[in-house]
Amino acid sequence: MRLLALFIAGPALWAVLFAAVYALHGIGCAGLTGPESLGGLWRLVMAGVWIAGLGAHVALLRALPAGRGGADRWLPLTGGWIGLGASAFTLFPVLIATSC
Amino acid sequence: MRGLPSLLMLPLMLAACDGPLSALSPRGPVAAEIAWLWWAMLAGAAVLTVLVLALLAMGFGAPRPARARVWIHGMGLWFSVAVLTAVLAAGLWVGERILPRDDGAVTVHAHAWQWGWTFTHTGPDGAEVRSDNLLHIPAGQPVDVLVTAEDVIHSFWVPQLAGKLDAIPGRTNRTRIVADSPGTYAGLCAEFCGLGHARMRFNVEAHAEWPPLLAADDADTADPDREVRP
Amino acid sequence: MTDATQGAASGGPDESPARPGVQEAEELAIPRNPPRPALALHRELHRVWANDRGLWGQLTAVNHTTLGLRFMGTALVFFAIGGLLSMLIRAQLATHDGAFLDTELYNQIFTMHGSIMMFLFAIPMLEGLGIWLLPKMLGTRDMAFPRLTALGYWCYLFGGLIMLTALLFGVAPRDGWFMYTPLSDATHSPGINADVWLLGVTFVEISAMAAAVEITVTILRQRAPGMKLTEMPLFAWYMLGTSVMMLVGFPPLIAASVLLEVERAFDWPFFDVVRGGDPLLWQHLFWLFGHPEVYIIFLPAAGVLSTLIPALCRTPILGYNAIVAAVLALVFLSFGLWVHHMFTVGIPHMALAFFSAASVLVAVPTAVQVFAWIGTMWKGQPELKLPMYHILGFFLTFVMGGLTGVMLAIVPFNWQAHDTAFVTAHLHYVLIGGFVFPMMAAATWWMPLIFGKRRIKGLGEAAFWVILIGFHGTFFIMHLTGLMGMPRRIDVYPDNPEWVWLNLTSSIFGFVLTIGFAMFALDMILQATLGKRSARDPWGAPTLDWAMPVPSTSYNFASLPGPGMWARVAADVVLPLARGEGVLPGAPRGRREVLVTSVGGARPQHVALLPGNTALPLWLAASIGVFVLLMLAGAYALAGIALIPVAVLVWVWGRGLAPAGDLSPVEAAPGLRLPIHHHARPSLSQSGLFALLVADGALLASLVFGLAFLSVVTVGPVPAPAGGGGADTVTLLAVVVAAVALGVGAAGRAARRRSVAWAGVGLALNLLALALLAVVLGGLDDPTRHARDALRAVLAAYVVVHVLVAAAMSAFALDQFRRAEITAEVAGVLPAWRHWQGFTAVASALVAVAVIAQAGA
Ligand code: HEM
Ligand SMILES: [Cu+2]
Ligand SMILES: [Cu+2]
Repeated sequence: MRLLALFIAGPALWAVLFAAVYALHGIGCAGLTGPESLGGLWRLVMAGVWIAGLGAHVALLRALPAGRGGADRWLPLTGGWIGLGASAFTLFPVLIATSC
Repeated sequence: MRGLPSLLMLPLMLAACDGPLSALSPRGPVAAEIAWLWWAMLAGAAVLTVLVLALLAMGFGAPRPARARVWIHGMGLWFSVAVLTAVLAAGLWVGERILPRDDGAVTVHAHAWQWGWTFTHTGPDGAEVRSDNLLHIPAGQPVDVLVTAEDVIHSFWVPQLAGKLDAIPGRTNRTRIVADSPGTYAGLCAEFCGLGHARMRFNVEAHAEWPPLLAADDADTADPDREVRP
Repeated sequence: MTDATQGAASGGPDESPARPGVQEAEELAIPRNPPRPALALHRELHRVWANDRGLWGQLTAVNHTTLGLRFMGTALVFFAIGGLLSMLIRAQLATHDGAFLDTELYNQIFTMHGSIMMFLFAIPMLEGLGIWLLPKMLGTRDMAFPRLTALGYWCYLFGGLIMLTALLFGVAPRDGWFMYTPLSDATHSPGINADVWLLGVTFVEISAMAAAVEITVTILRQRAPGMKLTEMPLFAWYMLGTSVMMLVGFPPLIAASVLLEVERAFDWPFFDVVRGGDPLLWQHLFWLFGHPEVYIIFLPAAGVLSTLIPALCRTPILGYNAIVAAVLALVFLSFGLWVHHMFTVGIPHMALAFFSAASVLVAVPTAVQVFAWIGTMWKGQPELKLPMYHILGFFLTFVMGGLTGVMLAIVPFNWQAHDTAFVTAHLHYVLIGGFVFPMMAAATWWMPLIFGKRRIKGLGEAAFWVILIGFHGTFFIMHLTGLMGMPRRIDVYPDNPEWVWLNLTSSIFGFVLTIGFAMFALDMILQATLGKRSARDPWGAPTLDWAMPVPSTSYNFASLPGPGMWARVAADVVLPLARGEGVLPGAPRGRREVLVTSVGGARPQHVALLPGNTALPLWLAASIGVFVLLMLAGAYALAGIALIPVAVLVWVWGRGLAPAGDLSPVEAAPGLRLPIHHHARPSLSQSGLFALLVADGALLASLVFGLAFLSVVTVGPVPAPAGGGGADTVTLLAVVVAAVALGVGAAGRAARRRSVAWAGVGLALNLLALALLAVVLGGLDDPTRHARDALRAVLAAYVVVHVLVAAAMSAFALDQFRRAEITAEVAGVLPAWRHWQGFTAVASALVAVAVIAQAGA
């Protein structure tokens, strides 16, 4: 059970981050944050959350216990990298894409 | 195995690609950008298919060492990430270029209903001109279409001029179409909308002069007695 | 070191020579039992595990082999029906003005083709495969909850029959398999057609939830002793991924279907723009299910490939760990792609870019698997046997389908290709390439284990070639058809002569394809009836599913494989297992016993007694069916009454879990005495409850997402200020939450002290909460007024149902005290009640916050 929990930690963090940034985007576009909704400032907020999330991924990778080697070490580590890679790859458009 | 014959058939296919609704015979820059994206992706996909199938065929030889570092890290991970990043970047690049922007483009209105289209543009006298199943646009310049729906979801699509955009009740969507030269282009409803879906066609007429002077029977100018819905 | 097997295959990219896992498995030493005559053991076990005789025996069967096969057989029948419907579609489209079907009928037919193929063929097929195969592969005798298996089957059958009957009477669903609103709402789809889909599919999905729960639990808790999670056969990893995805992925669909049905039946305007609803909410919920669904279908098929390829190449799989990681990545990533089905609805480009990126990224784990498979073939010596043909068919087809999938993930291209024949081509490349070909490989591989017969040479290969040619002939040019502008879901195209040759070609090859499938079916039938007797383990396979007689027996293993026994090629362990040298041999106590092991290291924990044959699942499914039919008929009051027998039967179901007979510990192997499950925690049921609560949480999350979506994204009329925000409602809700939360304490005390008094307190608290909730409900705004009012009412109803169940569980506990079934050792329903009460407390607090926040906003 512990192994499974460590295994999914990285991807779970991606899921949270992805949902959070997507939600922020929705809130920004809905104009709930003022008329300038997705002007520069809001994009900065989203990018900030994204970068903070990447930092959390790195912290997670460093915090993973060494384990007894073999699959016990390899799987959580891989999970951590999958999470980091996914967060970096899927959310980078926050920097470049046009929004609403 | 399959990629090769299809490559050889390419000229033949190209000839067959023409048609009033073909996304492969673009008549404007938006559709043209997407078309080259398609041809590039097709070429890449053909190469990849041949590559994978060749590797597969070679697998039937005598056993030989296969290292995870090469197959999993090299091919599975880095090679695919590289290819995918390139495709994604191209897609985003094209996407950004064809997006409607606030640059004062001519704006027309497309309203979809079961089963037909009501189009509106601003006539020479500044009044709204309405026409059923025939959209008037200027040629050679970007036109933003505001797409709305009366009843259920429809989708506005003129394949030779741009991609499609859904008409959704309660929402106003904006898409950009461009026709290089004057002429008539075919359009249709792309989202299934019930019994009349297959026949929910329309035409787009691109005019050299804008706004066009239309013969009276070409358009019915806004007439308060006439309902939008038939 | 043990022999290399698939399960303990050489490591991942880090390829460490030392495999600590195997060492630990060897640490866990279980002495062998003394050998006994295999035949005597067989008789003893068969008496206990076999189905009852005759037709009645078929109705009361709960055995996983019987039901797994029945799931797959029924799915095949639906495949044939769906295939016939596709032939009608192709006949209509063969010419530009097909007058073969009228539009109304055509719409019903393509809708039913898609719905049947997805909900009545693909999903039940993979459930059946998992149910049939997993216990055999993991070294156990049955699934964790045999009665649930049967319940799932009956729900599937009855739901499917309802939909088919509707087709026969010409009132089948006709709004496409994703049933977009407003087309599917009461205004634009009067009549019961849409209700048939919503109620029928939801009925069928009970079986998906049941299967997901028990597959999860079986994989985590019933593996052969010492079979560590990190060494189990890859198929089990794939099915674990699949079942978890089903637990999280189906609730959004169920939520959406319930909402739409309530809108149609009672005019609650969730999707009605005039009253603050939003058709896009349907699309989000549907695709939140719909995209993961594609991977739910693909993962088991990939699991089959990861099993068959190494076995057919006589070498361990390349990169076991990497494949496990790929499964993990797919499970997660596939929940972040759903918007790629909505690229044309007018979402801002940045959001599209997120989902476009996620959609191309998901190709990476797929590529990892494809290259791991090809690498395995390089490493080994592939044999071109019949299953291998279908595997090659898979590669050829699926690679192309995957590549067109990447193309469709590219936003601008999607704007052109979406909703055209290009998508139809793509989806059949992935579904037939990624699911049907692997399933055909699986069928040809496991036929000897199912029927104990060898195949008849020749026909199978011929069928393969006809299918391959028919398939690509039908669908390859359909890509072009789509790019030339042909939308999907049209029945005539009088103005487009340029599409005729394309469609005609597709139609002709479509019939070739159907002939191919018919040949394949004929081959199967001939093998089952005329084939010669097959030898045991005809493939020399490395997995436990072949370490048993062919055809397989009702109990699978006369004794369960212990450490060092599962990690060998099947041939080595067949005899010792049959002679009872493994763990828990025979059925000396005359009851169905399986071994329960720990999640990670598979250490033996206790022995679970499984229920025997019973018609209860049939009755329960039938009573749910009555409810569904009454809903369909619009007799809502009667439908409400029909829930009473359902509740009664669920109670009876629970009664069936009561301890009975000899509860003393069991000697599973010399020196290994294990308690039976009544005396042990955590039991299988407890794990099952956790799995169920995961799904329940996903359901709640879907509803809360809906409320948030309507509040933030929807641009509709702002509701009149919500009532129910008054001080009294806030207080009432606070008291409800407090009562339910105190109930958690009461349940905990009742469980710890075995205290009947605390159980009574729990019941009282739950009843109090229910009474207060009735008042709250009365104070909420009219749910037909505005979509947000309607969703608030649904959330409140969600809490009511949960508190109702909590109350029933506390009453059940009191009943168990009265019968003296709860003792110092036996906790009965108490732990389950405590967990349910805890979940209910959290859920009601969340709902209270949401309702109050809405009222304040
Ligand atoms: C027997 C071979 C098959 C043929 C010839 C076939 C043919 C077709 C055709 C012609 C369409 C309609 C396209 C349109 O509306 O324009 C269609 C739709 C569809 N098919 Fe198949 N199909 C086959 C097998 C399958 C299988 C095995 C699956 C899934 C496992 C499947 C899933 C679907 C789905 C989901 C749709 C979409 C239905 C909708 O638009 O609502 N098909 N198929
Ligand atoms: Cu339409
Ligand atoms: Cu998808």
